[in-house]
Amino acid sequence: MLLMGASVALAAAGCDGPDEHGHPLHARPRGADEAASYATVLDLEGLGRGVLARTRAGHAVKIEGNPQHPASLGATDIFAEAAVLSLHDPHRSHRIRHNGRPQAPAGLDAVLAALPATLRVNGGAGLRLLTGPVASPTLARLIGDVLAAFPGAQWHQHDPLADDDALAGAVAAFGQPVAVLPDLARAQAVLCLGADPLGPGPAQLRQARDWSTARRAGSPPRLFVAEATPSLTGARADRRIALHPAEAEGFARAVAATLGVSGLAKGAAHAAAPDIAAALLAAAPAAIVLAGRGQPPAVHALAHAMNQALGARGVALRLIASPFARPEPMAASLVALTTAMRSGEVTHLLVLGANPVQDAPAFLAFEQAMRRVPFTLHAGLWEDETARASRWHVPLLHPLEAWGDSLAFDGTPAIRQPATRPVVDDARDALGLLGKILAAPLPAREAVIATWMDRWGGIGFDDRWTEALEVGTAGPPSPTISPALRPDWDRPGEAPPATLTAIFAPDAGLRDEAQNAWLQELPRALTGLAWGNAALFDPQTAATLGLAPGDEVELTLDGRSVLAACWPVAGHAPGCVTLPLGGGRKAAGAVGTGRGFDATMLRPADGAWTAPGLVVRRTGARASLVATAAPYRADDAGAVPRVQPGEALAPIARGTSLHPDWPYEGRAWGMAIDVDACIGCNACAIACQAENNVPVVGPQELARGRGMHWLRVDRYDFDASEAPAASFQPVPCMQCEKAPCEPVCPVNATVHDNEGLNVMVHARCVGTRTCSNNCPYKVRRFNWDDHRPAMDTPRRNPDVSLRPRGVMEKCTYCTHRISAARSAATLEGRELRDGEVETACQRACPTQAITFGDLNAPGSAVAAQRHDARSYALLGDLGTRPRTTYLAQRVPRDGT
Amino acid sequence: MTRPPPYGAIAEFAEAETLVAAVRAARAAGWSRLEAHAPHPVPDAAIALGARAAPVGWIAVGAGIMGAAIAYGTAWYLSVYDYPLNVGGRPPHAWPAFLPAAYIVGVLWAAVAALIGMLWLNGLPSLHHPVFYARGFHRASQDRYFLYLMAEDPRFEAASALDFLRTLDALRVSEVRAA
Amino acid sequence: MSVSTRPVVAATLRPGAWGFRLGLLLALAGVAVLAAAIAALLVLGIGVWGNNIPHVWGFDLIAYAWWIGIANAASLFAAVLVLRRHGLRTAVNRFAEAVALAAVLASALYPILHLGRPWLFHWTVAYPATTGLWPQFGSPLVWDFWGIMAHVIVTALFWYIGLIPDLATLRDRTATQGRLGLARTYGLFALGWRGSVVHWHRHQAAYRLVAALVLPLLLSAQTVVALEFATTLVPAWHQARLPVHMVVTGLPSGLGVVLAMAAVLRHALSIERIIDDTDMDLLARLLACAALASGAAYAHEIFTGLVFAKGAAQEAFTARAFGAGAPAYWGAILLSVLLPQLLWRPGLRLRAAVLIPVGLLAAAGVWLDRWSLVVGGLLRERLPTHAVAYVPTAAEWALLAGSAALFGAVLLLFGRAIPVVAIFEIRHEESLEDVAEEER
Repeated sequence: MLLMGASVALAAAGCDGPDEHGHPLHARPRGADEAASYATVLDLEGLGRGVLARTRAGHAVKIEGNPQHPASLGATDIFAEAAVLSLHDPHRSHRIRHNGRPQAPAGLDAVLAALPATLRVNGGAGLRLLTGPVASPTLARLIGDVLAAFPGAQWHQHDPLADDDALAGAVAAFGQPVAVLPDLARAQAVLCLGADPLGPGPAQLRQARDWSTARRAGSPPRLFVAEATPSLTGARADRRIALHPAEAEGFARAVAATLGVSGLAKGAAHAAAPDIAAALLAAAPAAIVLAGRGQPPAVHALAHAMNQALGARGVALRLIASPFARPEPMAASLVALTTAMRSGEVTHLLVLGANPVQDAPAFLAFEQAMRRVPFTLHAGLWEDETARASRWHVPLLHPLEAWGDSLAFDGTPAIRQPATRPVVDDARDALGLLGKILAAPLPAREAVIATWMDRWGGIGFDDRWTEALEVGTAGPPSPTISPALRPDWDRPGEAPPATLTAIFAPDAGLRDEAQNAWLQELPRALTGLAWGNAALFDPQTAATLGLAPGDEVELTLDGRSVLAACWPVAGHAPGCVTLPLGGGRKAAGAVGTGRGFDATMLRPADGAWTAPGLVVRRTGARASLVATAAPYRADDAGAVPRVQPGEALAPIARGTSLHPDWPYEGRAWGMAIDVDACIGCNACAIACQAENNVPVVGPQELARGRGMHWLRVDRYDFDASEAPAASFQPVPCMQCEKAPCEPVCPVNATVHDNEGLNVMVHARCVGTRTCSNNCPYKVRRFNWDDHRPAMDTPRRNPDVSLRPRGVMEKCTYCTHRISAARSAATLEGRELRDGEVETACQRACPTQAITFGDLNAPGSAVAAQRHDARSYALLGDLGTRPRTTYLAQRVPRDGT
Repeated sequence: MTRPPPYGAIAEFAEAETLVAAVRAARAAGWSRLEAHAPHPVPDAAIALGARAAPVGWIAVGAGIMGAAIAYGTAWYLSVYDYPLNVGGRPPHAWPAFLPAAYIVGVLWAAVAALIGMLWLNGLPSLHHPVFYARGFHRASQDRYFLYLMAEDPRFEAASALDFLRTLDALRVSEVRAA
Repeated sequence: MSVSTRPVVAATLRPGAWGFRLGLLLALAGVAVLAAAIAALLVLGIGVWGNNIPHVWGFDLIAYAWWIGIANAASLFAAVLVLRRHGLRTAVNRFAEAVALAAVLASALYPILHLGRPWLFHWTVAYPATTGLWPQFGSPLVWDFWGIMAHVIVTALFWYIGLIPDLATLRDRTATQGRLGLARTYGLFALGWRGSVVHWHRHQAAYRLVAALVLPLLLSAQTVVALEFATTLVPAWHQARLPVHMVVTGLPSGLGVVLAMAAVLRHALSIERIIDDTDMDLLARLLACAALASGAAYAHEIFTGLVFAKGAAQEAFTARAFGAGAPAYWGAILLSVLLPQLLWRPGLRLRAAVLIPVGLLAAAGVWLDRWSLVVGGLLRERLPTHAVAYVPTAAEWALLAGSAALFGAVLLLFGRAIPVVAIFEIRHEESLEDVAEEER
């Protein structure tokens, strides 16, 4: 909708307002309430996804994907969507602090001004920089400048989710770090060894889009997944093998052996290997093997060798140089830093954006070491655990407020421009802080320009810069590299003992932003858990240990213990327990503190992803767990029918009715959701929450069944031996033509409009809740409390009203977007175009599973989908005539 | 100063049967404006006085039908003409859904009409009535029965009325006069 | 004969005995709890309750349906007595009417209080408003608005029409005692009733007519409540038999409460002569009969649920009766069907120590049935949505206890201010008995 105004908007670019206030790409001035979008970039695990930050009256209210950015293609993930909430979080750090006491900015500036001289005395020997993974060219350049200015200084990177083993595997295979870019649109067979290309990560949006494109084109890659912890990819695999970590290398080796990979140092066998190898060979060279986070280096090397043997490189796979500025084993880097601090070598520690006190393995005792450092400065969004352990804390600008740059997973550079004025006055950015240490303070924008001036040269720079800001990318992806496989690539690892093994894994719905209430309240796709994590068991192991879902367990590893909730997950490999990272925070504000348990308490000091010898003891207590779905949900209602190739479902029946049909002569809005394309990423749910000012109710209320999400993603489990193992079904309001909710309302608070929308009139609602009773889909939500005070922030979407206590609410098909498009079309004297109205959920979806439009319009995409052979109505036999219909999931004919 | 004429003459009885006999005797003697009072229903006396209960029923039936019709008509007019809305794809005139309320409202009107009709036919409420001046009349609501000959009767003449009442085996006979 | 009405009138006007005072004190304390619960509800909102999605209704609708059931059975009982001119009516029908009226008042709280925005309840009424909007006449909740309003009005009329002559009696008695203020008050409500036999004739016609109108209205009142459930798509609720089921299974509650109250009052007010052993015996047997009828309804439900129901409806019934909902379901049958069967033993029918608990437990059993329907009915939804169990909160218990206290307080105050049993009916009855004796 906002894109329409693009042509108008460019004229208004970069005029008034402060220098640092961004560069509007799409501006649509309307009265006093200016709406504009800015192309910028948000990082996940250090790599960028291009986004358009939509602002209203100068406030960023919504994140949408940037169609021109290869890591977004117009879609968003939950973390990008949730960024606007963190931006406006009232609990963000607002003050510069010294030893916990607020300080005036001048105090810090004085200290920083004195710093270069102090450091220069011994060449910066005691200076250490600690950052997260850095791909930003400007940040890397400034860090390089610091290291050059102070030869004794050292830079460490730390990311609890860093995949050091992948790095080791790449070095073993090629002698250099590489990034593997699979092309799921081209691949005909994909074997994932613990890899989760459809799961959360910096490449998720692109890979999911490619996978769904191939599926939609009728040539989907055969997807084989061998993993211990169920993942979104595993859920949608054509064949999934639950594999204990101790078997991982053996399995990979067995497949490699069957494929006839040369250079194997050791063979192995596995029952499933021949079938999979045959399928890969049949699809070669469009066959790829992906090794994922948590796999030992040998498996990564095996994957590289198998890809080489299959001839996948250049066909369905591309290798590029690592987009990170300095790829390094981060766990080792952190160990080195900790050792140095403990030995007193470190006099000055600058922590930029990282939170090692919380997320470093507890065995490392990072905090004790850090407290020995005389000068510690932490810059972060929140006063988190590291902020509390540091002498100085500086609030950091949110990425939506700051200048910067970033590289995508494929190396595509992008400029980060502020989409809004800083919400926090005292906040600084990392570039500025580094500038102070260099005694060459430069506004961040100038620093970024300097970097790109360096790369592009001065001729035509302004045009290129403007284009980069408008488009959202600053250049092409990284070039393909073709490193040769080293002859000694295979270095078999030691087989770990097959005892009960702890698997550390990223939380499916949380990274480091435990303070973000949208993320906390979002049920994880595969577990249904919200507001905290749980130790994930396979049902068999849990049963053997006598554990019921939600029982509290004491987990002990190497003498350290932690209390966690037990949660069985269908398809989890037996003999191991998955411990999601990111929970159990000690200083994450009212929202994030104490949600779930802290798995870093058990993580080995070397940051290993698996650890054998886990001891599980039932405490007899029940854990406080917020579960929104049972551990296993069978599809008894036939909600997600599955079709084999060529099979057609019965056309959607109109159903009989006592009354004559109500005619819809004009537009008839409808939605089609392709269950086959849904990967359960939940981006639609958060997009809906952001767009429609859907309140967060908190763990107590959510546990009482009072969640407010207008759109939920239902998971249905199938027997894990079957394929696929799980289906995901987004459920917004069905907007039934024969809506059962409407005739039962005594006050006409929910009625139909002339375009067939099931309209909820909040002002008219008296709150009988009988409409919810009569909704077979249970998509209506009730305001048990007054959420308006918490919602009425600059973050709210002013197009959507806030609802008072005591009224019902539900999905509106983003009726405000329909109105805006209708007004725009009327003003321009034309008809609405198909696809002109995009609902928030549709816009966010990485696999374009959601289609919205006018069912009456000839040739509209949604009408075509409705007449697809896979089209069906949820609970269609009830005669509600839903306007939201689904496309059934496809399953392969042979089941392998 | 002359005394005002009496409102009527009244006889007090101990038994319902005596009252019934007295009423019949009075009717036989040609008295037309008379009223019998009892602490409980005495159907024989009422029938002897020519009372009919049917009008109460007709009033109730009529009101009930009217109430139901008005309820249905209101729902129909407001839903179809005044503010038609598409409610769940049902036609504005969703007649089956209008019936329950019409039925209930009809019953309500009938019940209210039964009370109002009864009171109207009885000339109630009337907090003042000459018969309340009668001596001992407060026991008409407890354990005594009264026959009251009204002065409005063309045959009424105080002395003869009292004489007549004295023939009826009454406990007490008196004129009804304002206190 | 002249003394016949004395105990009743005395019972009405006797300055409070300690039992009465204690009872009233308790009831008023309960009403204070009710006021506090309502205040909390209005200030804090319906979130103080344990409801959620899908359990949007809980104690509110359970109590509503339950009180309606008590009111219904009590009115039904009184109306049938009046229509059949049954001997029992002299003793119990006024009292049953009072129970019905108190229960319907208690029930009428809930349709308003259960709203998310109770102060807007008048939007269910068709009146011209600036919005130009009207209620949605097809909604069972609008039927219910009329249903509950008609129920209150007609029950009150039924009670009041019967009361008019008694008010006249009180007027005259208090006047002779010289308590003129009280006499005027009674007199005002007696509407100048002077006992004219012609008036009596029409009065009796109107009384019986309203009694006759009470019958269809009662059926419709409970039916409309049942329709609020039956018209939904919830598998356990969407069944044609539900209205009949709710009417029939509601009977033991009203009869149980009338029986228990009669047993209490005849001792408390020393009116054993008026509500005599024969009355109690008959009433107890009526309760046992109603329990049998209720048992038949359950038998039909179990049979249809297991044999004829298909798919979701059958699963819903199985979950309700044999799954997680089993305690409430079978508890309801135990208390409201099986327990009253004790009353077939003549020896037990006259013991207050038996009648009071059996009567009240029968009512509690019906409450469990309503719980089983409202809460247990949602154990199986159309989609396997993760339903969080409904757990009532202190605020809901307070409201339930408070509405019971309101019921008690209204009954006690009725008993205090106006005749507990119909005076005129007793007089009539005794008058007829005298005739019979003389004839013998």
